[in-house]
Amino acid sequence: MPAFAMRKIVKRFPGVVANRDVDFTIEAGEIHALLGENGAGKSTLMQILYGFHSMDSGSILIDDKPVAIAGPKDAIALGIGMVHQEFMLVRRFSVVENVMLGLKQKLDLRQATARLRSLSEQHHLAIDPHAQVQHLPIGVQQRVEILKLLYRDARLLILDEPTAVLTTHEKDQLFTVLRGLRAQGRSIVIVTHKLQEILELADRVTVMRDGKVVGAVSTQQTSQQELARLMVGRDVNLRAHRAPVERGRAVLRVEGLRVRDDVGQEKVCGVSLEVHAGEILGIAGVDGNGQSQLAEAIMHLRPAYQGHVFLDDREVTRLPVARHRALGLSYVPADRRHVGSITDLSMADNAILGSQRKRIRGLFLDRRRIREHAAQLMARFAVRATTPNAIAGKLSGGNLQKLILGREIMQDAPAMVVEQPTRGLDVGAVEAVWLELLRERERGKAILLISAELEELMNLCDRIAVMFEGRIAGILDAAGVTSEKLGLMISGMSGEA
Amino acid sequence: MSLIERRVAPADSKLAILTSMSLAVVAALLVTSLLFASYGANPLQAYTALFHEPFATLRGFGYTLVRTAPLTLIALGTIVSWRSGFGYLGFEGCFVLGAAATTWLGLFTGLSAWAFFPLVLLLSFTTGALWAGAVALIRACFGGNEVLISLMMNYVAILIVQYLVSGPMRAPGGVPETALLPRSTWLPFILPGTRAHAGILLAIFATLVVWVMLRKTALGYELIVSGLSPSAARYGGINVGRRLVFAAFCAGGLGAWAGTAEVLGEQHRLMDGISGGVGFTGIIVALLARLNPLAVIPAALLYGGMTVGANAMQRRAGIPSSITFILQSLIVLMVLASEIFRRYRVKLT
Repeated sequence: MPAFAMRKIVKRFPGVVANRDVDFTIEAGEIHALLGENGAGKSTLMQILYGFHSMDSGSILIDDKPVAIAGPKDAIALGIGMVHQEFMLVRRFSVVENVMLGLKQKLDLRQATARLRSLSEQHHLAIDPHAQVQHLPIGVQQRVEILKLLYRDARLLILDEPTAVLTTHEKDQLFTVLRGLRAQGRSIVIVTHKLQEILELADRVTVMRDGKVVGAVSTQQTSQQELARLMVGRDVNLRAHRAPVERGRAVLRVEGLRVRDDVGQEKVCGVSLEVHAGEILGIAGVDGNGQSQLAEAIMHLRPAYQGHVFLDDREVTRLPVARHRALGLSYVPADRRHVGSITDLSMADNAILGSQRKRIRGLFLDRRRIREHAAQLMARFAVRATTPNAIAGKLSGGNLQKLILGREIMQDAPAMVVEQPTRGLDVGAVEAVWLELLRERERGKAILLISAELEELMNLCDRIAVMFEGRIAGILDAAGVTSEKLGLMISGMSGEA
Repeated sequence: MSLIERRVAPADSKLAILTSMSLAVVAALLVTSLLFASYGANPLQAYTALFHEPFATLRGFGYTLVRTAPLTLIALGTIVSWRSGFGYLGFEGCFVLGAAATTWLGLFTGLSAWAFFPLVLLLSFTTGALWAGAVALIRACFGGNEVLISLMMNYVAILIVQYLVSGPMRAPGGVPETALLPRSTWLPFILPGTRAHAGILLAIFATLVVWVMLRKTALGYELIVSGLSPSAARYGGINVGRRLVFAAFCAGGLGAWAGTAEVLGEQHRLMDGISGGVGFTGIIVALLARLNPLAVIPAALLYGGMTVGANAMQRRAGIPSSITFILQSLIVLMVLASEIFRRYRVKLT
């Protein structure tokens, strides 16, 4: 008898069926992974279970008894809790205040603190109830979210993409905590894209595609390849093949760059790099170690207060962004929806961002050629959308990323800065992005690839520079590197190679 | 299961937008009917009185055009600045300063008509452009709040004009106003038997220019991108600060042209309180047109006409003309509120 069961769940949104006859069961004391591409319906399913969405038909059973969940309040009362990808914490509150927030009982902070202490000890969470959330690292904030659920005595914990923002070390800690919870008989669902983590952590995995369950298997009887095939519906090449390419001249050079962030803190502390033609230079690092500021400073979206950037031996450090583009540098930013695209405009309008001044005939924009350009881009990079006039904001993350990457590639600039190109994408889209980047490398582009995904860097890069707290901790030849070594270096554990 | 469901994305077909807007206007008319009823008037008669004169009589339509011209110019200024992400509200100030500059050139330089008209357009536009551009510079360089600053600067401009008409530019006589402008500086009347003047032609010309600029040129693309997403604009190599200042120049210039049209076409002199709130009604017209330049002309005709009809209504149905302001405001409120209906659908199954 499963502890939690969802039977024949159907959920329609106008124009799409998000869930069709979905069956999903969770045993007590198991870690269950829910896998699927973006738009496969896994988030909808979990949101139905957590009471965010109502279902059109179907039933939810707990211990074989049907229950009605009309909102998150009901879900919590039934012992279902959820940790969202973006944490729902008040940054200026202490841990105990955050945990108590929303509870309709007499506010006795002293008693709550005592209970938190014992819960934290029992589950090895190592959390100080009086610490202010804003001072806690991301990994600990996540444990505060888990603590919140334990305080409400959740029997089922749903975690949405729990490892997206964690360091290798923090990830290991999280997995230890989750295994401990499993040992106590609690159920855990992790919603994720990462096949390797599923095999490492979960007991069973349910795979969804196009709103349907296409497989529910035990992790001991499956492999990464099989999971990927189930999820995408065809064979996926997770190992990228890098053809040997003659390394050319240094196209993009960075010398002693120093950059401050918005509040004046130094985020890039003297970084020097050389990216050669026909090479992908990776920058590995946990988010927030200055990679974003480095990319922005290279493009001059953010001023560097010291140091130099050269494009083909020409200094561009303080030239405006438009000049960078004109001189042959293109950029795929990490934030697709706020920087890389204008979500309120059409795909055609998005396809000319950065080259708008060249898209004219006489005085006016050449709408016909712009539409052709967009259609060409959509065809070449397999952007799935009806017409170039469709609004870009309606695209899925993967399609939007292909649109942005395609636009920047079609500028045909000799150097590219690419930041987190596959974050949040599903396996099929990741494969497409990787292939495009490798193709550009073979065509002799110099590519600076900033990524938090070690697997991606090891698959694509010729050399990997590790960035830690604003400095380059070391540059490794990608040929002989292991993920263990990279993992240690990005967490600042060991220095020079 | 509830009967009403939230849509994933708001319905944005032309039909959906038009339906929701029409229903909003009808709702505003219905609510105003209640006000009419409280005066013991038949709402149908009152509305007939309100709309008959401005739209069904030649003389009245001439007045409607007179009111439409400045409203259109100010609405266009609103569109250029708001679409570029510059929330400018200083059109009253631009209007009165443009009117003052126009009057000065007309009264004190004695230029021939050939020199006067091009020069007055240039001078007035520049005056408004500098007035609004100052706010944009404050925002672009120091991050000041353009909404508050531009609103407050209206009072400064109005007081400057008050000073001018009661001091240096005052004509002898009991009222604080300037002398009448020479005939040669008046805008030609374009409909025989009415007071409709060439200002409306200026407004139509400006509408076309603004529409072409925003929709057809790379500059317009950059302005709209800057307004929708400054960070994406910067990423695309657009100098957002410079576009902001440009948009402010256009907004101020168009606002000042509205003052020029009022002085040269209708009043033929400068006096205190010349704007009569048109600097704010113009913004409302732009909202009603959903910031679409081509929709400005019908929206401005409607609002201009209602202003004219208000007096007829007062005469014929005994209803205070100020109810028209309530109706005008209600229409915009209802139109803005009607947006929410496009986010939901009725679930029939």
